[in-house]
Amino acid sequence: MEEVIAMEYNELDSQYEDRSTPKVITKKDINKMAFRSFFLQASFNYERMQACGWLYGMIPALEKIHKNEKDLSKSMKMHMEFFNVHPFLVTFVQGIVTAMEENKEDLDTIRGIKVALMGPLGGIGDALFWFTLLPIAASIGASLALEGSVLGPIIFLLLFNIVHFGLRFTLGHYAYKMGVNAISKLQAGTKYVTKGSLILGLTVIGGLIASYVNFKIPYIIDTGKTTIAIQTDVLDKIMPNLLPLVFTLFMFYLLKKGKTPITLIMITLAIGILGSILGVL
Amino acid sequence: MLMDALLIAIFAGIAGIDMFDGLTHIHRPVVAGLVVGWILGDVRMGLIVGGTLELVWMGAVPVGGAQPPNVVIGGIIGTAFAILTKQEATTAIGVAIPFAVAVQACITLLFTFFSPIMSTADKFAEERNLKGIANINYLGMGILFVFYFIITFLPIMLGAEAAQKIVELLPTWLINGFGVAGGMMPAIGFAMLLKVMYKKEFAIYLALGFILATYLKVPVLALAAIAFCIAYFDYTLNKKMDESTFDNSNGGGYSDGI
Repeated sequence: MEEVIAMEYNELDSQYEDRSTPKVITKKDINKMAFRSFFLQASFNYERMQACGWLYGMIPALEKIHKNEKDLSKSMKMHMEFFNVHPFLVTFVQGIVTAMEENKEDLDTIRGIKVALMGPLGGIGDALFWFTLLPIAASIGASLALEGSVLGPIIFLLLFNIVHFGLRFTLGHYAYKMGVNAISKLQAGTKYVTKGSLILGLTVIGGLIASYVNFKIPYIIDTGKTTIAIQTDVLDKIMPNLLPLVFTLFMFYLLKKGKTPITLIMITLAIGILGSILGVL
Repeated sequence: MLMDALLIAIFAGIAGIDMFDGLTHIHRPVVAGLVVGWILGDVRMGLIVGGTLELVWMGAVPVGGAQPPNVVIGGIIGTAFAILTKQEATTAIGVAIPFAVAVQACITLLFTFFSPIMSTADKFAEERNLKGIANINYLGMGILFVFYFIITFLPIMLGAEAAQKIVELLPTWLINGFGVAGGMMPAIGFAMLLKVMYKKEFAIYLALGFILATYLKVPVLALAAIAFCIAYFDYTLNKKMDESTFDNSNGGGYSDGI
């Protein structure tokens, strides 16, 4: 019985109070958000990465959608959670999330979709911008510049930004429409979508822990006769990425015990500096 | 000289912001070479040095959280020194690299020390303080501008050797310590996500993602695709089960609010 009550409370917590869904988002709003998306990384930091810049970009939509004060506050708090996406593809996420917010989806579902999009878009963005567009545009620009031609930098900027601006200002509209259509189809199965987005989200987080958290002990024990490298000979033999996993779970544990993120940052800094002084890290 | 140094430093401030925000890529050496050359009155030399440095930094892109030597400072300081001391472009690289590495370490520090400000942002979000959220972002860019301005202005005014000595004054254990802590910090962000998303019956998916990425080196895109397949499978299974049992009064308390 207690469990049922707890679950119901949880459910209410993850829902907006005002569940009416008038269509309030215009093309102008999507463009406004695309413009704000230039500042995605303005307050970049290691704890939440782009969260605060992301929220800044979402504000034009959130402000219009959530007339209920409690809902707006709930939504803004959710968007302050960890977020990191490829900076060139952010408007795509903006579009989808805006459609979901406008439809007053369950907060757990919105969060799940947001998290699920972070990683994949990162891979696509890297391939598209860092490994393709930038090298091509830069090598054309540089070769012209090496001949002393002013056209070098100009052609570089044109090539790069036609694609950059083109994508940034069209992806939002495209994703918003796509989101609206997908949602109306999925409406019947909110329960399933929430569950699915949790599966998707948690799997991606598992992978992100392995690839984003950087924690190694490069210390080497020298006994005179043999040397033992702690990281490669011991820890990696047990399990690669053991330290990132343990450390993340330790942070999770501390959060559940009610410790604040600031305390966690202080602990992390202390470990880093102490480890550095002792020559272990 | 003072005027030239000021102008170059202002450009460095703007370029420093563009590297993270704006991303129009005016911060790349091929553009910086033109601008610095134009300020110092030698456009041709600026273009050639800029082009050379561009090729050096071609592969230096922020992939997977790794930060290469700072391309803004590399391009600007490199070009400025090549023109001011009438050196070859390749010598300029040697001068520029130590600065670029030191600056990137400082950026790591900035990203570390900006973390505590996020709890203020949380408060602003709770209070629906839209202005406050905007101001935190403006503050971040303001700090970047001032940082790049100073770090460019001083070496050009003092000369490379004097500036080099200042760089060496910073204790390595401290810089290293901050760097290590910075690498660990995403764990805090993930832990906060877990706090709201984690449910015991879904723990297995967290493990799955971690194992696939760690042992099979599955890229995140493939990981999401795999997770999608599982979620879809789970969906069809659940739907079948729900349909075969009695109709559970439209999902228990969900109303679509229309």
